[in-house]
Amino acid sequence: MDDEVYSFALKNALNEIQKICPDIRNSFMFKEDGEIIAADENTPERTIVNVVNALDGLLEKVNALGSIEFVALESSKGKVNLSCINDYYFVTVTSKKADLNYVNTVTRVLIPTIIKLLEKIGPAPFKNNPSRFEIEPEHPRIEEAEATAKRDFEETVPETVEKPLEHEVKSEPLLPEPPVNQLIVENIGGLLVPSDTVRIDNETLLQWNELYGDRNIEEVDIETFGGKSTRCKVKPIKDSKYEGRGVIQMPDKIRTTLEIKKGELVRVKPAVQ
Amino acid sequence: MNKRKKSEQIVAETEPIVMEETTPMNNLKSDLEEIKDYEGVIGYILRNSTSAAIDLKDPTKIIEYAIVSSSAFDAGKELSDLFDLDTVKSIIVEGKELKMLCVTLDENKVSVFMDKNASHEKTLRKLQAL
Repeated sequence: MDDEVYSFALKNALNEIQKICPDIRNSFMFKEDGEIIAADENTPERTIVNVVNALDGLLEKVNALGSIEFVALESSKGKVNLSCINDYYFVTVTSKKADLNYVNTVTRVLIPTIIKLLEKIGPAPFKNNPSRFEIEPEHPRIEEAEATAKRDFEETVPETVEKPLEHEVKSEPLLPEPPVNQLIVENIGGLLVPSDTVRIDNETLLQWNELYGDRNIEEVDIETFGGKSTRCKVKPIKDSKYEGRGVIQMPDKIRTTLEIKKGELVRVKPAVQ
Repeated sequence: MNKRKKSEQIVAETEPIVMEETTPMNNLKSDLEEIKDYEGVIGYILRNSTSAAIDLKDPTKIIEYAIVSSSAFDAGKELSDLFDLDTVKSIIVEGKELKMLCVTLDENKVSVFMDKNASHEKTLRKLQAL
């Protein structure tokens, strides 16, 4: 499910909630980075942008209280509530006489349920959640280039830019997109440890093998959040204490290449030949 | 010479923590002292345009809490303006570990910090009764 459909579903949900809770004057959702996910039909985008800006300082500084869960503002003419649902902030503005227990019961039950449902149907908007099994486009740079090219040359030479890119993207039509896992770096060392091989959960390797059928996954592409990447051999974890813990055991040489340390997160995907 | 310099430094360091006390704040402060003994309450910040009083169980958090308190009042004002909500009566900010209750009483801005599971209702009632 793409973001647009997801947003459309949430927008409809917000509008419906407003029908059963007429005291809700405005409701909308945005991400931690300020990106607007959905809003009811009464709330202009400009207002949401202003709200995001107004809350920016507070949301940045609130770590002194632990990560934010809820904000409630009461004033003489109305109330504003902000709840943190997964990675989203959900804001409702209600009239003064609104029964907050009822509003909260509706919103705090319905919205998380809808999000969970949408997540089950298609997890695309939850890409940033590190605990999830992620799937990213096989050629993100090509997609970026395509978007830039479309923007820059839309009126002049759209076809010359798009066609070769489309050709590249479609060059392996039968292969599924490589799943991207976020794993925590663990050290591995010793005399018999090869310096060019990382170790990950056997279960993950089996999933990849299942996904690609006969193709043997012998190498992985590793990318750090700092932008460094490398390809190296992969084998299953031997030490049972690391199994199922979402770790990647990495020899010193590869850690140095990637400029990372134990405990940091990396993105790992199978290198399919 | 050295001694004088040292004493000047001490004065300079302690200066920001010295609280100016004014009469209207004193009543409020005595109520806040009472509130501080409520279960789960870990301290408060009281300030107006001319003075401030801070009492927190963990003094190392003074700056962090002062910043979050100030940010909450600023955000409240902006939200109120945006949605035409008039005077902000109270703001509750709940984190995973703690929560903060912010109340404006005339020109005084009070932030009470408490454990997440502590009841803020009693504190709010007490402050709003003033």
